[in-house]
Amino acid sequence: MTASPATGLGVTAARIENGTKIFGEGEAAVRALDDVTVAFDRGQFTAIMGPSGSGKSTLLHCLAGLDDLTEGHVFIGDTELGTLNDRDLTMLRRSRVGFVFQAFNLIPTLSAEENILLPLSIAGQKPDGEWFRQVVTTIGVDDRLTHRPSELSGGQQQRVAAARALVSRPDIVFADEPSGNLDSTSGAELLDFMRSAVREFGQTIVMVTHDPVAASYADRIVFLDDGAIVHEIFNPTPETVLDEMKKLGS
Amino acid sequence: MVRAAIKGVLAHKVRLGLTALAIVLGVSLVSGTFIFTDTINSQFNTLLDDIFSGIDVSVRKTQADFSGFEEPFAAGVLDDVVAVEGVQYAEGGVSSITAQILGKDGSPIGGNGPPTLGFSWGETAALNPLKIKEGNGRAPAAPGEVGIDANTVSHNDFALGDLVTVVTGAGPEQFELVGIMSFGDSDSLLGATLTAFELDEARRLFGYMDEFTSISIIADEGVSGDELTTRIEAALPAGLEAVTGETQQNEQADQINEGLSFISIGLLAFAGVAIFVGGFIIQNTFRIIVAQRTRELALMRAVGATARQVTWLVVLEAVLVGVFASVVGIAFGFGMALAIRGLMNAVGFGLPAASLLLLPRTIVVGLLVGVVLTVASAVLPARRASRVPPVAAMREDLLTPKRKSFRTRTIWGVAITSLGVIGLLIGLFGGIDNAIALVGAGAAVMFIGVSILAPLAAQPVADLIGRPVARLYGVSGTLARENTKRQPRRTASTASALMIGVALVAFFTIFAASTKASVEETIFELFPADLTVQSTSQTDPELPAPFSPAFTAEMRELDELGAVSALQFGRVEIEGATQLIGAIEPQTIGEVFALEPVGDALIALDAANSMLVSTARLEDEGWVVGDAIDVEFSATGVVPITIAGAFEANDFANFYFSSQTYEDNFTVLGDGVVFANAAEGVTLAAAQQAVDGIAEPYGNVKVQTKSEIVGEAEDQIDLALTLFNGLLFFAVMIAVLGITNTLALSIYERTREIGLLRAVGMVRRQVRRMVRWEAVIIALFGAILGVAIGIFFGWAVIQALKDQGLGEFAIPYGQVFIALVLAGVAGVIAAIWPARKAARLNILEAIGYE
Ligand SMILES: Nc1ncnc2c1ncn2[C@@H]1O[C@H](COP(=O)(O)OP(=O)(O)O)[C@@H](O)[C@H]1O
Ligand SMILES: [Mg+2]
Repeated sequence: MTASPATGLGVTAARIENGTKIFGEGEAAVRALDDVTVAFDRGQFTAIMGPSGSGKSTLLHCLAGLDDLTEGHVFIGDTELGTLNDRDLTMLRRSRVGFVFQAFNLIPTLSAEENILLPLSIAGQKPDGEWFRQVVTTIGVDDRLTHRPSELSGGQQQRVAAARALVSRPDIVFADEPSGNLDSTSGAELLDFMRSAVREFGQTIVMVTHDPVAASYADRIVFLDDGAIVHEIFNPTPETVLDEMKKLGS
Repeated sequence: MVRAAIKGVLAHKVRLGLTALAIVLGVSLVSGTFIFTDTINSQFNTLLDDIFSGIDVSVRKTQADFSGFEEPFAAGVLDDVVAVEGVQYAEGGVSSITAQILGKDGSPIGGNGPPTLGFSWGETAALNPLKIKEGNGRAPAAPGEVGIDANTVSHNDFALGDLVTVVTGAGPEQFELVGIMSFGDSDSLLGATLTAFELDEARRLFGYMDEFTSISIIADEGVSGDELTTRIEAALPAGLEAVTGETQQNEQADQINEGLSFISIGLLAFAGVAIFVGGFIIQNTFRIIVAQRTRELALMRAVGATARQVTWLVVLEAVLVGVFASVVGIAFGFGMALAIRGLMNAVGFGLPAASLLLLPRTIVVGLLVGVVLTVASAVLPARRASRVPPVAAMREDLLTPKRKSFRTRTIWGVAITSLGVIGLLIGLFGGIDNAIALVGAGAAVMFIGVSILAPLAAQPVADLIGRPVARLYGVSGTLARENTKRQPRRTASTASALMIGVALVAFFTIFAASTKASVEETIFELFPADLTVQSTSQTDPELPAPFSPAFTAEMRELDELGAVSALQFGRVEIEGATQLIGAIEPQTIGEVFALEPVGDALIALDAANSMLVSTARLEDEGWVVGDAIDVEFSATGVVPITIAGAFEANDFANFYFSSQTYEDNFTVLGDGVVFANAAEGVTLAAAQQAVDGIAEPYGNVKVQTKSEIVGEAEDQIDLALTLFNGLLFFAVMIAVLGITNTLALSIYERTREIGLLRAVGMVRRQVRRMVRWEAVIIALFGAILGVAIGIFFGWAVIQALKDQGLGEFAIPYGQVFIALVLAGVAGVIAAIWPARKAARLNILEAIGYE
């Protein structure tokens, strides 16, 4: 493992070097990411913030191997994603990366338990029973495991999605506005769970959000504007986040 | 509205395209059948024009409509005709349907479908449809000379001056080919083989010494055909009639039409099945599309469209799709017509190539079928569309309309299925007229009923089939199974389309297997003879073709044979109905044929003009032995025939004459079947070899043992089965298209889900596998339903035919299993395109997909 050049602390779980992403061509070309370099340490909870259209989702997708960069390099651990074909990328997502999307995270025909175990069953692997127990107890859906997603509340669905992201003990979990569709109580429950995954299990999480409260659960916040990193702060509180946002907005 | 409909269609091009393909296939079958029969018909009409254009009046034996050929009459009639005022010229001729040409290798030419015609050469060109082609020799003018049609000559590498063997009633003889003929302007008469001989030679060969089979007449200038016909009629002896050329032409055209309609009804029946299956698919597609467009339709309602307008919108889209698909289908009909012709030719009909004929009727019917089918199938989904409340545009939870309860569905399904079953059973066992139509309608109604019930079974059955799949293929398998269970109606109606084809395939297969199971027993029981001799030709679907009696005479000389007994066959009219009759040799028949005469019936049959009647028929008619019954013969008219005795066997004929009575009252063309036993101490093989030895020069007789006959019957059953299943292929193909269509639509709905699966690590292969197994489960569900119904059909039909010697009900488990496997394979094929589409989805776009 390489030491993180950005912070000098810990070990890097994922990083992007001089990443540029351009959508479209010619006149219509949009530079969604513009020479971005950032690393994410293991065991750290990072939030990515920025105005709408600043490239947050694009950054997350490129880091997760769902999209490729126009220029630059992405690493998960030591693996450079640019060198992988579709199949290898899929295998990497399956075993080393977890996801939580804003909505539609679950397969409607599968029970909560089956959804949680989905990455493992896709890989044809047996779950680690103890770890699975621990995860479902923490997210508080252990009594609803046999239910289908349609029978779960929005908060429960997102927590099931988070559990799914964690169950294969990936190197890193990416979450794109996971609490965006939830009321504040459900959102807080989800974020609590995510933070405890980092604190207690040493999980690495990168989360996109535009909610200062949500962002304050993180250890570190990276601010993005026009496809470039413009600022970062550590150990935020909602107040410091708001302050930063005001400064950047002006 | 129209513009909205056009836009709607264009927006769903791909999805509607597959539906359209189902219509295209159905319509092309229908229009292909019409194009084919119309083309053949017009070819025949041109030919008939050629034949009869020069003939004003013909004289012939009064036609008994039960006789298939021209009967001979005394040649002296010609003098009476010539003496009639207004007859410019009259010429008599003879013709025969048994003039078999042998190829250079000694094998018979044609004969297995198209007839083998022989004529006397007519001296008057205007009366003779046969022409010698320019520079191809001359007319046959002396004994030992023959003219042959150009088509036969060129297909068999004959050349002028060749010695060609022709087998007639007089046996096989060699003739010098002196002229190559055309029939009218055509090189052939639709594949029939034509031979022409000098008149007296023809008379000798056909056995018509001092006789004619027809006299053709040219009227004097200014005398009309009708007028002359009346005058000639007056001059004719009883039993003969005069008809105009036109009448004769119409009669022949009618006869040809009848023959063709047999073919076209058969083809249209299969087209009907394909269309029926297509209906299921169209309905399914429209239902899914309407469901997927609920929000859009609700929006239309919200901005002021009435429920009726929404209905019309969907119906109008159906009309557009129907018109488009029908037009394409009609165009494809040309290809289909060519394919049908190719198929017919492969089975032995020599149909000549000709430019295909598209009549307005074909276009009208094709359009009607396509449009009516599409619209009728779209009506239910359209009504559902109209029930979408406007508020559904805003509210997610109203997007899925409430389903009818399973209870209502069960009641309807059971009622309709029962109705179908009752219709089917009445048709089979009710002994009514038009039974086949009722059986067909009953089956169709039953299919609809079962398809209504099928959603009830979809989940448990899919669960059952899916269990091993889920076990074998992990998540892909589990998801495949769950996806089929998710929309039981959709799964069921997709499967139902396949069910129909599979049910019919299973039925035919079971029916064939059951027939085969009975055939050996029947044949061994009925034909105890060691050897059976028959013609290789089959010119009449009901009767064995006659072969030269000269051959039978030679057989009787063989030392290797014991009893030799010949049978002839024909038609007579008794009590106003045409009856098939057989003629037997009373002395020997008992040794070779299981007739089961009652008492001394065979001895009594020796008396002149006597017959045996089956006990069943005696009972039906209330006749007793000793009664004299009026029997009308084509050759001798009405003759009283005494019932000499009764017989028990349930053979195909209810009446048997003695050979003598037959010869007295029929124009003998030859023997139909000759049975023979090996002589004492001669092995079967040796006896067969001996008969084969003398059969060689005849070319057109085959000598078979009992086992060979069984084998041949089984081959024929297999051939028929292959043909039927081949025709059902279209219905199955349409059903497979339906699976493809449903999958494509489902995948479209599940885009986001597939994106998610890919994001969390599903490789493309797993996605493809998931879609593939979904298709396989649907296909197997349909196939299982189909096999179950097919077994029921088979059982019912065989029960109904029990008294016709079809006792055994045999399920060919191997073949049924193969059918199931093939259905699974069909599912795999159906899934190829949707699976690839699903696997290629761009993950990010799919996830972001609304
Ligand atoms: N698939 C795409 N095609 C074209 N432009 C895109 C695409 N995805 C994102 N963009 C553009 O890239 C920029 C960054 O988008 P995104 O990463 O989604 O921003 P954020 O998540 O911060 O709102 C935006 O201008 C957006 O319009
Ligand atoms: Mg975003």
